[in-house]
Amino acid sequence: MSRVNTDTVCAIVILAAGGAFFRATYDIEKMDYRSLGAEVWPRVVLILLFVLTFAYLFQSLKQGRDEKSEGGGVIGWIGRYQNALWCYALFAGFLLTMNYLGMLIGGTLFVFLTLTALGERTLRAFAVHAAVSLISVGFMWSVFTYGIKVILPQGEIFSAW
Amino acid sequence: MMWENFTEALYTVFQLKTMLLMFLGTGAGLIAGAIPGFTIAMAVILTLPFTFSMPPLQGLATMIGVFVGGLSGGLMSGILTGIPGTPSSIATTFDGFTMARAGRPGLALGLGVWSSFFGGLISAVALVLLAPLLADLGLEFGPWDYFSLVLFALTITASLAGTNMLKGLIAGVIGLLVRTIGEDDINGIARLNFGMDSLKAGFQFLPVLIGLFAFGQLLSDVKDRVRARQPLMADTGKAVKVEHLEAIKTIFRSWINLLRSSAIGIFVGVLPAAGGSISNILAYDQAKKASKTPEKFGTGTADGIIAPESANNATAGGALMILMALGIPGDVVAAVMLGALLIHDVVPSPSFITDNAVLAYGIFIAFFLAHPIMIMLQAVCLRGFLLVTRVPMYTLAAVILAYCAIGVFALENSTHDLWTVLIFGVVGYAMRVLKFPIAPMILGVVLGNMAELNLSRAYATASDMTMFVSWFVLRPWSAFFLLLGVFSVGFPWYQQAYGKKKWTLVYIPLMAMFLALPMFFMQGKVRTFVAAALLVWAAYALWKRHRGGWKLEAVDNHFAEIKG
Repeated sequence: MSRVNTDTVCAIVILAAGGAFFRATYDIEKMDYRSLGAEVWPRVVLILLFVLTFAYLFQSLKQGRDEKSEGGGVIGWIGRYQNALWCYALFAGFLLTMNYLGMLIGGTLFVFLTLTALGERTLRAFAVHAAVSLISVGFMWSVFTYGIKVILPQGEIFSAW
Repeated sequence: MMWENFTEALYTVFQLKTMLLMFLGTGAGLIAGAIPGFTIAMAVILTLPFTFSMPPLQGLATMIGVFVGGLSGGLMSGILTGIPGTPSSIATTFDGFTMARAGRPGLALGLGVWSSFFGGLISAVALVLLAPLLADLGLEFGPWDYFSLVLFALTITASLAGTNMLKGLIAGVIGLLVRTIGEDDINGIARLNFGMDSLKAGFQFLPVLIGLFAFGQLLSDVKDRVRARQPLMADTGKAVKVEHLEAIKTIFRSWINLLRSSAIGIFVGVLPAAGGSISNILAYDQAKKASKTPEKFGTGTADGIIAPESANNATAGGALMILMALGIPGDVVAAVMLGALLIHDVVPSPSFITDNAVLAYGIFIAFFLAHPIMIMLQAVCLRGFLLVTRVPMYTLAAVILAYCAIGVFALENSTHDLWTVLIFGVVGYAMRVLKFPIAPMILGVVLGNMAELNLSRAYATASDMTMFVSWFVLRPWSAFFLLLGVFSVGFPWYQQAYGKKKWTLVYIPLMAMFLALPMFFMQGKVRTFVAAALLVWAAYALWKRHRGGWKLEAVDNHFAEIKG
């Protein structure tokens, strides 16, 4: 285990994902007429991916363990990437609630929550975040709805009005 | 006919609405380019949704404005604060910031802005003259040649990742794989969707690009909790008066530097996937080598500003050239432009300039026009830039993420595209953390379809399997691109070993010799002449090194100095 490093784990993940994709190429429908089958190109790409990833795996094993481990286990990892994790979680929440809240309410809420999660959490900051989210999303929503004439999701709450 | 098309394009570009949009785009590009961490590609990506409802030329003119503005905007923060706004202006800071600190910020800004202007104009002329020639060349390409060209584009992108070349290649291949998900374009058969209906249509290119590039970039910018809460730049200084006349005079005195750097910029732009971030350093390095006073570089010399700024704007013309002539994006920005064209059902190819002459001339005119607009707006945008830099990064990130969501939804009115942004946002950020270059993956996604389509065409055209395989090396253009691809794979090792290992002495002459071979079999006398010249040069270089006893040359550490 002493040789395992981040690159090794990454190479193994790519190989595993590549394996799943390669297996899936056998589910592609075959054609009777003379043409390059729909499964050929993905297989060519996957074989190339395997060759390169094996080279990457060997290279990573030769390197040995990571020189600098940031440590802290799972909690340390979460701490290091908490801003990114907040953004992903809030964006996913925004998408999941899109049907109910719509783009305007959901978008405003998303910006407000993201600003609050990433920024300071004082009363003044809350007010600034609320103003920024209302103005920015309201402006963009108006430009797309009335300027570019794109029908953005209204959401059940907005429709009920 | 040509004049009719030209005047029609001129009429469209000079319409009040188009001009207004170009002004807006160039201004936005200037400010966006000046903000460190906010790349030109991101600015162009964010402009794209606004152009959906516009006619193609209007939309593209706006995006070209952003592109040109962004290239010139990077110099403002670079010169005033020493932090380049975009990677395209890294070398500008070496002398620009020093000159500004020495009490001439107005001259430094003037030199930067006017060098960008002249570099852009030279590249615009080259675009008009060379794009049709390149397109004529492209008409000679068969499916084998196109497939090999795509392979070359991917290898050169990966090789630009330097020591991470293996990661670059893997990223490129993953990009190709992503493009295979969903219905295949040739037979319409669903593939690699793992039984999910939502994946049957595959991933749209633009949501993938926005996820990989914009989402991933923004999260990288706010990774550090403390820095994300601080204003973008602590000390942006005060707005200064630009010394236009003095700058123009100085540039004209260094006209050779201007021409050389612009030529370097155009050449780098034509290379698939190489952009302004490379051309500005390369031009700076060449200017220093050619200078009679190289020791002055880094101390605030005018040539050190003229070279990188003229080169990075000239790169844009080169990138547009290869996009319009062959449909191959020169860099990430050109890839977004390609996406914009595809949205309007315009597919760049060798016949693009003849089939869509008005659009093609319109792009030429818009590119030309964006440069004087950039000069006009520069003073106004300098003030705007000083205001924007007071905003903390996390505020910009949250607002831009919401904007990305609205823009991507507007593409096809589909929430599936928003999930695509999220998924590729995770992938893009993970790639950045794991030090995988993003550009090869983007090119893989863009070019994957072209590669498969041409491979399939080659297979259908070939009478048997032997012909199908052998024509990859027997057709001159295909062999030429494959050889270029092989040598570009070896280039990072060449760079590392240069001056240390003897094999580097034969690498470039050998490359020239190998490339000359397929050129002898191409049509026309010019190419035969070029091939002969290449062979003679290679033989001479080898003979010279043999006479010198294969002695290693002293390593020129310009690049080490630049990186330092």
